[in-house]
Amino acid sequence: MISLTSYAFVSMILFSIGVIGVIARRNIFVIYMSIELMLNGVNLFLVTFARYYFSMDPQIITIMVISIAAAEAAIFLSVIILLYRSKKSLDTDIFTTLTQGEK
Amino acid sequence: MSDIIFIGLSFFAITGAIAMLVYKNPMYSALGLLISILAVAGMFALLNAAFLFMVQIIVYAGAIMTLILFLLMFLNIKEENLPKEPKKYLLIVLGAIIMIPFNIVILKAVSDLPNANMEIVQSDFGDIKPIGTLLYNDWILAFEMISILLLVALVGSIVLAKRKKTKKENS
Repeated sequence: MISLTSYAFVSMILFSIGVIGVIARRNIFVIYMSIELMLNGVNLFLVTFARYYFSMDPQIITIMVISIAAAEAAIFLSVIILLYRSKKSLDTDIFTTLTQGEK
Repeated sequence: MSDIIFIGLSFFAITGAIAMLVYKNPMYSALGLLISILAVAGMFALLNAAFLFMVQIIVYAGAIMTLILFLLMFLNIKEENLPKEPKKYLLIVLGAIIMIPFNIVILKAVSDLPNANMEIVQSDFGDIKPIGTLLYNDWILAFEMISILLLVALVGSIVLAKRKKTKKENS
């Protein structure tokens, strides 16, 4: 009963919820976690295809994605610390320094 | 048997993701994401990827989620610091409508592929040794680039997050 399509369905749902989180939420923490969820959905898809074709190359790509996600976590969280220190808020609508310049 | 495990894991993965999406407090969102990540790790185990199962638990559920939860407690976020989101559910519905055609295209493309047996098999597929052999033989350049990337991210995050005291003392 579990086929390729069921795994693809779950990973597509996870990826879509990640995209919806980036679109709908204004809290920068939740946006970051949505990006992590998107990466997880794609990882699940890759591992499913690794099992389907019985090849291990997609699993190597998954390891690469996980390490890039770790690097991204370090950078993103330090940027969040900076933004929270200067603006005292987690709202993405306040972070307009790049578009309007420092006031 | 693995059907029941798969259904349970997918239920937990999707429920955790939805909990991450709708909760206002980022702490509850992080816990929902943790449930989702652990369920995805279980799916890796169902797909014969034993090494990735461990990596997912150690790196995601261990390291990244600990970093997020620690930072949430460190920043001491209060209720008034959270952004107001009056149009959240409207935007969620809008995003779902945007994503539906994309999902349909991918699912149609995948369901046209020939069926294969996805049960757990007894072999060394996905163990540490064959993955390491492949990683150091065919993917060595990518491996080295990843190590440089991690070093740059490490240095960059320290430079970004340190307090800038020297400028004020000089001026």
